[in-house]
Amino acid sequence: MNKINREKFTALSFFLSPMILMVVLFYLVPLVMTVYISFTRMRNWNVEKYLTEFVGFYNYQRLFYMFQHDPTFKAVILTTVVFVGITLIINVFGGLALALATFFISEKPASSFRLLWLLPRMSPIAVYSLVWYYFFHGSEIGTLNSILMKLGVISQPIPWGQTVPWGAWSIIIFVNGLVGVSFGMIVFTSALNQIPKELIIAARVDGASAWEISRKILIPLTKWHFLYVLTWQFLSLLTTYPHIFLLVQWDLVNKDYGTTLALYVFNTAFGRGEQDQGLAAAAAVILSIIGIIGGFVTLKVLQFEKMMKRPRGDF
Amino acid sequence: MKARAVWIIAMLLLGVVASGCIGGEKETTQTQAPSAEVQLTGDFTKDVIAIGKVLEQNGINEVKFSAWGSGDPNSVMRVYGIVEAARRINKIWADNGIKVKIVITDTHYVASFQDAYKEYLSKQPLGQAGDFFVNSYAFLPTLADEGYVLDITDYANAYKSVIDDFYPSLIEASKFNGRLYGLPQDTEARPLYVRKDVAAKIGLDVSTLPEKVKNGEFTWSDVYYWAKKAKESGAAEWGLIHRKGSAHPDLIQFIFAFGGKLYDEKTGKLVVDVPAVYKWLYVEWKFAQDGLLPKDIMSWDWAKQIHPTIVEGRTLFDIGGTWYWTEWQTKQYYAKGSGEPRGLKPEEVKEWFAYTLFPAGEKGGKPVTLSQPFVWMINSKAGAQNPKYDELKDVYHKLAFLMLIKASDPDINAIHSVISAHLPVRKEAAKLIKDEKWLNDLKNLNLDLDQTVKDNIKDIVQATVNPINAQFLADVSYMLEYTHLAPAHPKYPALADIFKEAVDKVLRGEMTPEDGVNYIIQKVKADPELAQNVEIVGEIPKDWKFPQ
Repeated sequence: MNKINREKFTALSFFLSPMILMVVLFYLVPLVMTVYISFTRMRNWNVEKYLTEFVGFYNYQRLFYMFQHDPTFKAVILTTVVFVGITLIINVFGGLALALATFFISEKPASSFRLLWLLPRMSPIAVYSLVWYYFFHGSEIGTLNSILMKLGVISQPIPWGQTVPWGAWSIIIFVNGLVGVSFGMIVFTSALNQIPKELIIAARVDGASAWEISRKILIPLTKWHFLYVLTWQFLSLLTTYPHIFLLVQWDLVNKDYGTTLALYVFNTAFGRGEQDQGLAAAAAVILSIIGIIGGFVTLKVLQFEKMMKRPRGDF
Repeated sequence: MKARAVWIIAMLLLGVVASGCIGGEKETTQTQAPSAEVQLTGDFTKDVIAIGKVLEQNGINEVKFSAWGSGDPNSVMRVYGIVEAARRINKIWADNGIKVKIVITDTHYVASFQDAYKEYLSKQPLGQAGDFFVNSYAFLPTLADEGYVLDITDYANAYKSVIDDFYPSLIEASKFNGRLYGLPQDTEARPLYVRKDVAAKIGLDVSTLPEKVKNGEFTWSDVYYWAKKAKESGAAEWGLIHRKGSAHPDLIQFIFAFGGKLYDEKTGKLVVDVPAVYKWLYVEWKFAQDGLLPKDIMSWDWAKQIHPTIVEGRTLFDIGGTWYWTEWQTKQYYAKGSGEPRGLKPEEVKEWFAYTLFPAGEKGGKPVTLSQPFVWMINSKAGAQNPKYDELKDVYHKLAFLMLIKASDPDINAIHSVISAHLPVRKEAAKLIKDEKWLNDLKNLNLDLDQTVKDNIKDIVQATVNPINAQFLADVSYMLEYTHLAPAHPKYPALADIFKEAVDKVLRGEMTPEDGVNYIIQKVKADPELAQNVEIVGEIPKDWKFPQ
């Protein structure tokens, strides 16, 4: 290694090591542990007893058998697809729409507006979920039912979350959409603020409308941010469960159509009378594989490698 | 080379001899090592003193323990019983000049017993779970199987006289594979409550009801008939209200009421008794379809819907637990009239509610009730937060056991029973709750109790200790003769979850009772481990009718 390379290596190590450490500690180690546990009979947290009790592919076989024969598992898969798909669209396009909307108004009201959308993210999950629990409650104690009944729109309370599948799906998508949309908004707002103002002023001078400016200038220039938000939110939604867990736990939404694969993993590991961490780990490994494939496809479709290319011009 | 080897061997030998001499000298100068062993004799004071002395000799002057419990709001004695036991043992030590003290570092009490169990399960391996853990006996098999709770069989052998005072069925419920893993803390019955005012409006005579139910003359078909009458005449909004959430244990009673079983003694397997389960689901379905029972009851809110509907007389029947009796007095569920929620007065509860056994499913059958005894268990790592744990482990465990023996003192058990409307687990405690003088002393907290305990139960005592509640306990205690226990099987909670899902779907009309049964069978078969542990017996009865 010559001197220049060695210096480059030192500099790279210095800047990359925190990130590499984080990835190893919080991604690789848990992943390896999950894969390992999925080959053991681990249950009820009994590490001492089961950590070395290898069962080969038993948990995977059991899981696939259950996938085939469990009458409610189809609902879990469908819910995962619908939930991730629709919430992802809401989070990404909603975030973009919010960022664009606040881009064209003056800074002060824009900040207040953004803060408003950030509120759900700042509230503790239990509190936030409880608010929506009472809002959507299927009886007359539910805020929504109570309002609609007072207005004379309905005469009987509607069990929103138990109207399957769309009622249950709507609630979990709505609740998670409200939380997730602010993430995209922040990223896109930051991206929009980086665009040289001259471009927008010039377009304005040429008589372009806000829509034309958005379509021709702003959106194309935030493509990489779009890619980032899309991939990040996809992976995040695939593994998210706390809000859904509480809504299912409190019987607000139907258990079958309110359970995503991530929640299924959680419930199998920690939720039932018998907690089966081995089986849950097997399901988690499958979830990780789906995540890796999904993430890879997203990056490929949106031509991630182009962003990683060395920029032309001076370096 | 040879000379060097001889030198080395000589030096080594010298070293060994020298170290032996030095060691020997040390032996002679050192005082005798303190004992780390105690044999339980069955004489409580003697055993406590012996343990105290051992601890003192080992330089321990403070023993830390924590107590975890869970359940309804009035059942706080599940942890304060341990606090009181500690005080009583401390007193014995102080009286005998032993300078050791038990300190209860943590009294952790949560409402949901399922949540408490999950917390214990996840924290026990880390050594962070309570030293004493009181929870449903239904979790005991798993905890025992995993080695998370202490096997106290040998200790209990020394205290046979105390053990024999517990009701034998409850001691059986505290066992797993023939070994004892805890001491019963309480039990209960699950009566069918009947609103007297609603019954009067429709001409249902409640005074003869318990007897008729006992004789199998009043069955679930009669419950249906009167529920329908109450609803149709406008006397009540609903005919029947029952629990939400897990179908275990209240609703499981239907299986026994229809002559079914949940466990096969011969094979040690759980049972899905198809005819009984079908009849259970059919009754639920029929009640819900006819608008007598809310279709969405499984997702009702306990505090805002279930209890207010019962205490405000908006239903004729309710399947509940004995503990409802005092819970209605201490929790503010009643908001009729002023609109300001309040607890009921004991006189009101007595005036408004009649209670019977859970009726037989059909004529010729037997009424039932179901108990879910709570059991005091000792963490297999009990005492680990104390010094010299490795050496004194056995002593700490024996001390923990003696604390359980003390916490099971008749008066502590009787206090819990009276203030929480659970049934006593010991014959001596059952005698005590009939003693008026003792009840009066409890009412005024004129008992020899720890101040912390007094402070923590003061309000509950004020609201619940009175002759009406004591009489209620005496009146329902006969129900224990009809009691059933859900099987203590590690896979039972998983099966109970499936039952709950089926009941919910049937109530909502998403499934017919037949579909419900097939759903249960399919779910059981879908999990190979569950399928191995569950027998499916019988077939859906053809031509069976309800109501009959």
